[in-house]
Amino acid sequence: MKDKLKPYILLSPVLLIIALVFLSGIIMAIVQSFGYFRVAGLNEFTLRYYREVLGSDSFLSSLSFSLYTSLVSSIVAVIFGVLLANTIAKYKNGNNVIKYLYGIPIIVPHIVSVLLVYNILSNTGVLPRILYGIGIINSASEFPSLLYDENGIGIIITYLWKEIPFVAFTTYTVLARISDEFLEVASDLGATNKQAFFHVTLPLLMPSILSSFIIIFAFSFGAYEVPLLLGPTKPKALAVQAFIEYSNPVLENRPYAMVINVIITFISFILASIYYRLFQKIHKY
Amino acid sequence: MLVLSIFNLTACGKGKIDESDIFQKDFEELVEEARGTTVTFYGWGGSGQTNAWIDGYLTESIKKDYDIKVKRVGMNMDEILNKLLNEKQLDVEVGNIDVIWINGENFFTARENDLLFGPFTYKLDNFNKYIDENSLDIRYDFGYPVEGYEAPYGKAQLVMVYDSEKIKDPPENYRELLELAKSNPGKITYSAPPDFTGSAFIRNIIYDIIGYESFTNLELDEDVVRNIIKPAIDYLRELKPYLWREGVTYPSDVALLNNMYSDGEVWMTLDYHPNSPYGKILTGEYSDSTRTHIFENGAIGNTHFLAIPYNAPNKKGAMALIDYILSVESQASKYDPNIWGDLPVLDNEKLSEDEKKIFSSIKLGEATIPQDILFQNRLPEVSAEIIPLIEKIWIEEIPGE
Amino acid sequence: MRDKNQYKRILAIFICFLIIPLGVLLIWSFSKNWSWPNVFPSKFGLRGWEYFFDSSSNSINILFFSICLSLVVTFFTLIITIPAAKALSFYEFKGKKIIELLIYAPIIVPPVAVAMGIHFQFIKIGLANTFIGVVLVHIIPCIPYSVRILKSVFELMGRNIEEEALDLGANRLQCYIYITLPLILPGVLSAGSIVFIVSFSQYFLTFLIGGGRVVTFSMLMFPFIQSGDRMIASVYSIVFIVTTVVVLFIVEKMTYKFYRDVKRWYL
Repeated sequence: MKDKLKPYILLSPVLLIIALVFLSGIIMAIVQSFGYFRVAGLNEFTLRYYREVLGSDSFLSSLSFSLYTSLVSSIVAVIFGVLLANTIAKYKNGNNVIKYLYGIPIIVPHIVSVLLVYNILSNTGVLPRILYGIGIINSASEFPSLLYDENGIGIIITYLWKEIPFVAFTTYTVLARISDEFLEVASDLGATNKQAFFHVTLPLLMPSILSSFIIIFAFSFGAYEVPLLLGPTKPKALAVQAFIEYSNPVLENRPYAMVINVIITFISFILASIYYRLFQKIHKY
Repeated sequence: MLVLSIFNLTACGKGKIDESDIFQKDFEELVEEARGTTVTFYGWGGSGQTNAWIDGYLTESIKKDYDIKVKRVGMNMDEILNKLLNEKQLDVEVGNIDVIWINGENFFTARENDLLFGPFTYKLDNFNKYIDENSLDIRYDFGYPVEGYEAPYGKAQLVMVYDSEKIKDPPENYRELLELAKSNPGKITYSAPPDFTGSAFIRNIIYDIIGYESFTNLELDEDVVRNIIKPAIDYLRELKPYLWREGVTYPSDVALLNNMYSDGEVWMTLDYHPNSPYGKILTGEYSDSTRTHIFENGAIGNTHFLAIPYNAPNKKGAMALIDYILSVESQASKYDPNIWGDLPVLDNEKLSEDEKKIFSSIKLGEATIPQDILFQNRLPEVSAEIIPLIEKIWIEEIPGE
Repeated sequence: MRDKNQYKRILAIFICFLIIPLGVLLIWSFSKNWSWPNVFPSKFGLRGWEYFFDSSSNSINILFFSICLSLVVTFFTLIITIPAAKALSFYEFKGKKIIELLIYAPIIVPPVAVAMGIHFQFIKIGLANTFIGVVLVHIIPCIPYSVRILKSVFELMGRNIEEEALDLGANRLQCYIYITLPLILPGVLSAGSIVFIVSFSQYFLTFLIGGGRVVTFSMLMFPFIQSGDRMIASVYSIVFIVTTVVVLFIVEKMTYKFYRDVKRWYL
């Protein structure tokens, strides 16, 4: 009897905090998104805020901007992260290398990695200065606009700086445990390195690739600080737009902010479950 | 333990402060009672010079003279307002902000929502002594009557800051600005609203094109405003391709624009404080050839103010601090471009000869436009409610492809 | 042989990708005048560092305050996630999948949405602008990371060891001190480090819920990065990084030392 309750008891503190802060936060957001915000005198549930937001051009461009930056950065991060992990795994001292190198980007917060990218890739950053010195470009404005631009490249690179090492690390820990025997067997059976990688290693890595992908995608899709600092005037990333609406002194505007918040959350969930199923399929083959 | 502390904090938020005595007592008594207390001062923290004046001169001198401790918190005005709005809605009687640096559309919102304590300025000694209550920029804030709910802090006027080595002839009007941009593509831009300075620049352009008079008594209707400012929007669109990044995107903050200017990425920037650019030449942030300029039709000027939130925990301390800021010494030290360079709000007529000397002895530098010229070419602000409309229209029409 | 060279090249590129930007950061922090198009500063100076150490900027106090806040967050997060991870790895029970989903959900749901959602309530019950309020919101995004690490630690340890020890006559406390703790300690440290870093790096959560009253180092650093003031921003960034490394190092050393002392005392 006691044993049956034990897991619930152990879980109760964490679930309490999650319920009180996390769940109630989401519920409040959902409720307010439907227009119910008593304090501002809004007493009815309505879908009109959703209709307005989903129909507005500026929302749709924010949505595609956020989707674009998070998808591109997450996919690139996964590809390079796995390749990197694979390369390091072949090296005997891999363990130490990965531990110390990985530690650096993990400790650096996202706003500092914004600064790193700004220092190097802004129009007057270190890279254009070097190019100018060599003579490849003749003025600061000739250097391509990577920051504050619709192409979102500055934002993507900022994410990549932290995410490639992250993916590499989580993948490496799994990779390190994959017995060399698997690979030997594969090579005995006549597989090339490439074939062995795609047919043996990769499927084994899928679960950790999946989870890292979901983590980095969800983070970048709902991120605030990085697109605030490096994004263009228009379109603004979703979370940035949500806070602008939230800060509106006219309280009746609050539902618009919450609609955006709920949509971000909803899309993150949907996409996460889609990736999950997609990866399951790939895994199976 | 956690639960107990939560209850404790809740109790804190709901207690009521007794302030009936504030209006009855003498100002000197209030200052006495404020001794040894802390006053929390919230305001925009993006200007290093402002912060340096508050953290340096103000904090040190008021500690010496009144034994009051100043705690400065940097926060944007709309965020402060949002916070107070939320607190007001939830009946939070005791907040944590004593003094706020406020003006313009924010004062309007604050008064409409009953967020401020007052009227209090009539109780301040220095206000009565040195301020010209009847002056339009003291009685009205962006067209809205002040009625004693905020005290003047300093004056500002929008100036263009440019590098005289790169730009030989600064533009006198919007037409010349367009020509300048055409001959120096990519070297000019302005900060995007809702940045305060960028927003003021846009209004200045509107004035230059259609004249300030069209704005008095303007109807608060989006279509009406859109119609009236159409020529300006068309102009800004025409200007777009010659701006930095072809006008597709704009720096989000005037501080960022300033840094771009000192980097040499652009050749012009903006400043709401006519004296500050000289200060930056002194620190080396701006080149020695930096100069300031205003359009021949005038530059927008306004007064910025200090107010006390309805739920300030230390209203006596707040009043003492505000009064202290209105003293000759404070206004003079604030005016010094070595520190901040903010224009004083004191009425020249009310100053004694010695006091006048304190101000005239402050070295302004070649980069600064003399005060009388600034004063003669000062344009008042539009009514506060129109500004968010103008900003909304700008964001819809201008940035992006 | 070819592989080794290729490997070295890739690793070298990766290292540059990581280290060079940090090197640029260091140079910026010591620059006085570094205008276009110089590849290196024309003048060096300490203005940024002076500003940081100057008491009027209050930076050192805020730094220590932030360290305390994040340590508190780490402590409470570990306390609630260690039993949770144990439950999830050792037991099967009804509703396990839903509970796991709930625990990992903060990774999918953007923290900004949760913060904006809960902000009003916090003001109402007096938690906004308080230390505790900020701690509570920090804990939320930290939970999934901590549980993830601790879960694999418990799985590695396996249920059986504890049960065997109990069978052999150890009481609960002995079991905990001699068996469980040493086995999970490295995992706890690793989870704790991640939690500390996540909390120390937070900006928006502290900014919104703290309301300007609870000021952390990230909040102090942010406006300089936003305005492109590279010199001062670099100084603060370096302090941030160095502080994190130092704090984590000290905590790790202290934990092992403490553990050895406790063992000795109990004996």
